[in-house]
Amino acid sequence: MTRKARLLVAVLCALVSAPAIAVVIMHIPAFGRHPLPYGDAINHTAGAQRHVTNMVSAVNFDYRAFDTLGEELMLVAAVTGTLVLLRGRRGESLSDRAAQAGNRPVCERSEAVTLACRFFLPLITTFGIYVILHAQLTPGGGFQGGAIVASGTLLLYLGESYRLWRRLVRSRLLDMLEAAGALVLVLCGLGPMARGGAFLQNVLQLGQTGALLSGGLILVENAGVALAVTAGFILLLLEFLEETRATCEGEGP
Amino acid sequence: MRGRGAVSFVPWATVAWLFAVGIYGVITSRHYVHLIGCLTVIQSATYIALLSVGYRFGSVAPIFYTRPPSTPAVDPVLQALVLTDIVVGATVTALLLALTLQVHKKRGTVNPERLRPMRQ
Amino acid sequence: MIAPATDVLAPLPVAVPLLVGTLLLLVGKVLPGRLPDALAILAALAVVTIDARLAAHTTGGPLVYWMGHWQPRGEVTLGIGLVINEAEAILAAFMALLFAATFIFAWGYFEDIRALFHVLMLIFLAAMQGFCLTHDLFNLFVWFEVMSVTAFALTAYRLEADPLEGALNFTVTNTIGSFLILGGIALAYSLAGLLDFGALARSLAQHADDPVAVGAFCMIAAGLLIKGAAIPFHFWLADAHAVAPSPVSVIFSGAMVPLALFGLGKIYWDVFETVPPVQLLMRTLVLGLGVTTAIVGGVACLRQRHLKRLLAFSTISHGGILLIGLALPGPVSLAGVLAYFIGHGLVKGALFMVAGVLLATAGGIDELWLRGRGRPVWPAGVAMAVAGSLLGGAPLGLMDSGSRLIGAAAAARGEDWILIAVVLGTACTGGAVLRGAGRIFLGLGEIVGEEARGPSEDESEKPARPLWLMMLPVIVLLIIAIGAGLPHADETMLGAAARFLAWDRIASIGPIGPATAAAVPAPSHPFVPWLTLGLAILIAAHELGHAWLPRSWSRTSRRVLSGPVFTAIDRAHDGVVGDYVVWILIGLALFSVSSAAALHAG
Repeated sequence: MTRKARLLVAVLCALVSAPAIAVVIMHIPAFGRHPLPYGDAINHTAGAQRHVTNMVSAVNFDYRAFDTLGEELMLVAAVTGTLVLLRGRRGESLSDRAAQAGNRPVCERSEAVTLACRFFLPLITTFGIYVILHAQLTPGGGFQGGAIVASGTLLLYLGESYRLWRRLVRSRLLDMLEAAGALVLVLCGLGPMARGGAFLQNVLQLGQTGALLSGGLILVENAGVALAVTAGFILLLLEFLEETRATCEGEGP
Repeated sequence: MRGRGAVSFVPWATVAWLFAVGIYGVITSRHYVHLIGCLTVIQSATYIALLSVGYRFGSVAPIFYTRPPSTPAVDPVLQALVLTDIVVGATVTALLLALTLQVHKKRGTVNPERLRPMRQ
Repeated sequence: MIAPATDVLAPLPVAVPLLVGTLLLLVGKVLPGRLPDALAILAALAVVTIDARLAAHTTGGPLVYWMGHWQPRGEVTLGIGLVINEAEAILAAFMALLFAATFIFAWGYFEDIRALFHVLMLIFLAAMQGFCLTHDLFNLFVWFEVMSVTAFALTAYRLEADPLEGALNFTVTNTIGSFLILGGIALAYSLAGLLDFGALARSLAQHADDPVAVGAFCMIAAGLLIKGAAIPFHFWLADAHAVAPSPVSVIFSGAMVPLALFGLGKIYWDVFETVPPVQLLMRTLVLGLGVTTAIVGGVACLRQRHLKRLLAFSTISHGGILLIGLALPGPVSLAGVLAYFIGHGLVKGALFMVAGVLLATAGGIDELWLRGRGRPVWPAGVAMAVAGSLLGGAPLGLMDSGSRLIGAAAAARGEDWILIAVVLGTACTGGAVLRGAGRIFLGLGEIVGEEARGPSEDESEKPARPLWLMMLPVIVLLIIAIGAGLPHADETMLGAAARFLAWDRIASIGPIGPATAAAVPAPSHPFVPWLTLGLAILIAAHELGHAWLPRSWSRTSRRVLSGPVFTAIDRAHDGVVGDYVVWILIGLALFSVSSAAALHAG
């Protein structure tokens, strides 16, 4: 079909479906007044049962930890898949020269950029680690903090040179860290079974509400997730940045 | 109708609008990276749908670090679902971008209308 | 009562492949030689044993397992539950078996990426197990998404232009499907506030005529039907299957696509059956989609010359038959679905492996180019002929069990016309495969001038494995497809189906009652398998025997076959992702109109 034909058919479909969609929207329970039995049950009991104050983390790493296991493995699968796609053609050899697109010049970094990056990198990394460690207390957790730390490492590339970025960010180590994070989560599931509990049951000491070490198994799962997410995202950044490098002599694109 | 004000329609109308805009972008796209961005727009529609189901007027976030646990709070389960949704979106976007990069290297184009597997 | 010792097994079908997969990811690079392959095979076989044990132990009652030991509190289910019935355990065991056969077939195939293929496949296996056994709506979505992501990555493995484009089409369409499912979950949650199947069903029963419930079903069904390749959501399948490596196509056609359709059935029986407009939708719209898919898939199958694309359309057609079985109510049709699922998966898996053998030994996959070149690998030809007959409706084995039971269910409701679609679809796909076997291995059916013009770039796969290693899983799969049908297959499936329908929805929330299995129904039209097989052979003979037919007949048949309907079908599958998305919108519009009608009728 041509673009016009596609658009025409799509508009027709939208018109045909519009009454049904309108009826559904009119019958949805009023916004802001939903009955939320599940949410209320967790809000009222999770604090006492698991000694945590962040209910979202409690749901993520305890009540619905099986979902988090699946989500974590999906992240690992996607990163592995991206690695297969990008490394597969390129091989593992590295190049340092930036690739050039047409006649565009490759700019030198300005000192202001370097200064700003050097200033912000420790701040962002510290903030990311703070978000990871306080998963069960305040908003945040392994996913969020891991993404922050991973994006922070980009400042290494922005402010310094590509060579330094590649020297400090080692793909072998990151591969292993990512796998280790996923393994931690799987063992958090199987471990309690060895003690006679259920899969992913929270069998560790729960600690005191409000303390940094509270929540039991939630902490371990959070650490595993943080490790896998950080390593996974940095690997992705690594591979995509590598695509911007010039290919070695004799290699086709 | 369930005795609601006009505000009830706004989140769901936004969901429908975002979905429509995203689909329009996917259908008429001429560049794959743009298409991936439109998928992200459709994804935002699902975020809003999930989060607006969990909202309650006069409630706070479900974090009880400085508040007593009996304060009315919104639904934490849906926030956890949206978190999963975000991870899904990020990973699929990464895969799609990697695929697009490789297709560009192989075919020299990223125009969806010119990328047809198995030309008969 | 389930022995407590068996309780422990419940999360293992998911946990074991994940454990082995993550271990392989961690140390895979330093493991010697073929050790990752061997570990993967062992992991898959372990899952088969665990699932078989679970199936044996759930004949007396379902196994309900709460993750993290979160028992429901009052009416609210706090955690994620697994409810394992015999039916689900049997399907899960079959899928793990297919994976084990694939790992043997892929021994030595993926040289460059070493253990990464096995990591992705093991995560794929774990996701399928999770999808099959779970009893929570969002958990179902999570495992669905894990299956999708691993599938996307595996499709593009070969990194040629065609696989990359096929993978892009696959990813874009299925991602839109995932978003639809999420929207449906949001709608269902807005009514019920819970995510467990049983609790949702109980809550939705009180909203029996609510359009929101119907809307939630439509969105979730559309998302699952995209993955399950029902018309008009099926366009991505032919592209993706044709370009994926053969071991991966085995899993796609043998397990992933039928599992998505079974997922639709599960959602319907476990959650939405209590909503009358949805019942009506299943009996009319979904049945209609199944019939259309069976016929159109079969017809399109005949027109393909790329062997894997031919098999892909055959999967679409048989998926339509599965959908017909799911749409018919009652334990007899469900028993048919179970038998058909397994039988089709075994046969289709064997056929894709034969295609892989041809790619590895003869170096091509175009049916016309391969004419006569299959003679050196004649065992593959025997296997292809056997598989083609089974696919074409031969009256032995699990596939025949399945279609017989589905036919009996249709006849019991007085809807015998459905059998016409089943016969047509089966005959067309069986005929296409038999035609391929005749042409490739016997050298029949020469078409002058067409053979040089193939539809795709040069393809070949690694010939690194010996023929007997590649043929071993093929033979095993075909033997199981025929042999498992012999003793008491019908009774086992009927019992499993009855127990599933009686227990699965309420197992997590309430006490279960007894479940009585229906008696094996007499075949409604005993001549149907012979008719289908005869038609398949006739089609194959007609296509192969052009040289011996009178000239006027060939000319008329050629004119009919280039008629408007057939060229329209060919042109619709043009590979442009925007067109595929528009077809998804057409499907959604169809769902909207039908739900409006169903709501009015109720």
